[in-house]
Amino acid sequence: MNVAILLEKRRVQWSELEALCDAMESRGRTDKAGAAHHRGAEGVSRFSELYRSACADLALADAYQLPPGTVTYLHRLVARSHNQLYRANKFEPSRWFNTIFHEAPQQIFADPCVRIATIVFFGLFALSIYMGLNEDKFPGFAEAMVGSTQLEQMEEMYEKPISGSLDHYVPMAGFYIMHNTGIGLQCFAYGILIIPCLFILAFNAVTLGTVFGYMGREGAVGGDNFYHFVTAHGPFELTAIALSAAAGLRLGVGLFYTAGLSRADSLRVNALRSVPVMVASAILFTLAAFTEGFLSPSPAPYLVKAAWAIMSSGMISFYFVVLGFPRDGFTRRSVESDTPRSPWSDEEGAIDAA
Amino acid sequence: MAASQALDTTIAVVTPENIAFDYQLAGPFRRLPAYLIDLAVRWVLIVIVVLGIYLVGGLIDFQLLGPFATAAGFLVYFGISWFYGTVMETVFNGRTIGKWSVGIRAIDTEGRPINAKRAFLRNLLRIADLAPVAALTSFSDEVPPVFIIPTGMIGLATMLLTRRLQRLGDLAAGTMVIVDERAWRLPIAKVDDPRVAALASFFPGDYRVSRSMARTLAVYAERRHYLTPARRREVARHLTVPLIERFEFRADIDPDLLMYALYYKTFLSESSAEPPDLGPFAGYSPLLRDAGKPAPADSTSTLHPTAPEVFQ
Repeated sequence: MNVAILLEKRRVQWSELEALCDAMESRGRTDKAGAAHHRGAEGVSRFSELYRSACADLALADAYQLPPGTVTYLHRLVARSHNQLYRANKFEPSRWFNTIFHEAPQQIFADPCVRIATIVFFGLFALSIYMGLNEDKFPGFAEAMVGSTQLEQMEEMYEKPISGSLDHYVPMAGFYIMHNTGIGLQCFAYGILIIPCLFILAFNAVTLGTVFGYMGREGAVGGDNFYHFVTAHGPFELTAIALSAAAGLRLGVGLFYTAGLSRADSLRVNALRSVPVMVASAILFTLAAFTEGFLSPSPAPYLVKAAWAIMSSGMISFYFVVLGFPRDGFTRRSVESDTPRSPWSDEEGAIDAA
Repeated sequence: MAASQALDTTIAVVTPENIAFDYQLAGPFRRLPAYLIDLAVRWVLIVIVVLGIYLVGGLIDFQLLGPFATAAGFLVYFGISWFYGTVMETVFNGRTIGKWSVGIRAIDTEGRPINAKRAFLRNLLRIADLAPVAALTSFSDEVPPVFIIPTGMIGLATMLLTRRLQRLGDLAAGTMVIVDERAWRLPIAKVDDPRVAALASFFPGDYRVSRSMARTLAVYAERRHYLTPARRREVARHLTVPLIERFEFRADIDPDLLMYALYYKTFLSESSAEPPDLGPFAGYSPLLRDAGKPAPADSTSTLHPTAPEVFQ
């Protein structure tokens, strides 16, 4: 049996397998491969049969003394068929529901990175508000942080009372989704390098806090209008920024805190854990953007906006704490070891032999 | 890794069928063009879709739909610029338009197609891989500070440091990028030289090449098209000198031709008992013992002006 004849015989099957691969790559089904016996279940079984025979050919390539070019081709053919046989899972909405309402809050509640990110963000935010408010204690703080031209622009923007119409709201909502979620995603991506992520987080915290403080000063131009505008979407927006940074930091921490895994494996595990958090953050960004596009610039009374802010804070708290509370949180972990105590031991509570 | 593994950009993947097949990894010089093509495609897509939205909105009622068109434009820009890669790789089994045109594909490190989570991660983290950014303002003061160039140093460094040429996004998602060639090259080199079959008939019928020799012959036959005739002779001579001595061929025989003939005998010729038809070469012999014999009578053969030297 020489190689040329062998190849001629096998090539018929290989090219059939190739045709099936082509059909499956474009459609995910074997129906388009042409022949009648390639439809439905018959085609699938035919495919697996051909795949197994190609695997066998590859395994015996050395014994058959196949030329290297043929072996390379077989490697590729087997790889392609393998890719079709072991496909990625299809998109399932139920799994996304599970990700958003189960995995994400559990992860957020248990993750120290979330605590770090929120402490950094809200700590700097509160500090900047305090320093921006007290002009006499910290002279020139706001100008140094934000820049006087920016501050003047702010004052100009909020000088007039808010009066938006629909054709102003809708584009703004779109713009806010784009801009703010973009910043959040950037913060997440840079988390793997840790420093840029913390920088973006701190920069946003200080800038926002300073503006809040500056606008809250006695006699600030447009201060009331400003608070009228930002109250409604504040909780969503600020939490979302902190969360996206937390998800990013989870990546970066995985790089050096490996918990006994190899570095690459640790990064992979941590990255997969961070995805639900990032998804939750993106949802919060979207909610914030819609609030910012529709409710914040509307002439609704301040009470409505404040109520919305309180309600959204409550929803976030419920999401983080109630859904995120560890499922085994009420079972007290036994402090003692599980080994049964010997009846002859001299410690307290030993079985009374008498 | 085993020390025996070649220093090469191939990665072996073991399947549940217990077959190990090789993937060839794609390096930065394939992936950068793919990325640039994707960048262009992304912008073209954004421009087309946004213009289309405005056109439709304007044709129906621009007063009413204008703001919605603007909002949709923002959302399209956001969606395409952030999630183009994720969606493409999820739907098309690890390929974007740029990857497809360069011929590469992203798969996970076990050799399976990637899923949405992995595609999301590896495409988002590209930002971190393209860091640090260099601003054009550092080169000249005239340029406005909007133009920044991502240098991609981080991604390059991690590609150099990992065995599978992974950037940070690949590491986090557990993926690798492989060359996805699909060309079926005819594995058997076609023999178009009539002298080869004739020469092959002079090997003794019971001669069997060893397995390593067979592999060498196959590699040689596949590779010889890329070499100049002089180089072929130089490469082949190392193997043919012992063969010439063993089979007592003439010393002036072309080593390349001898290798090719042996390849033909091993892989292509029918192992039948009957002697092959030598055609115009009947009567010429490469053997040393026939060197003194006169050439056959029909020297009208138009094959070669120096017919006896036909094997040189």
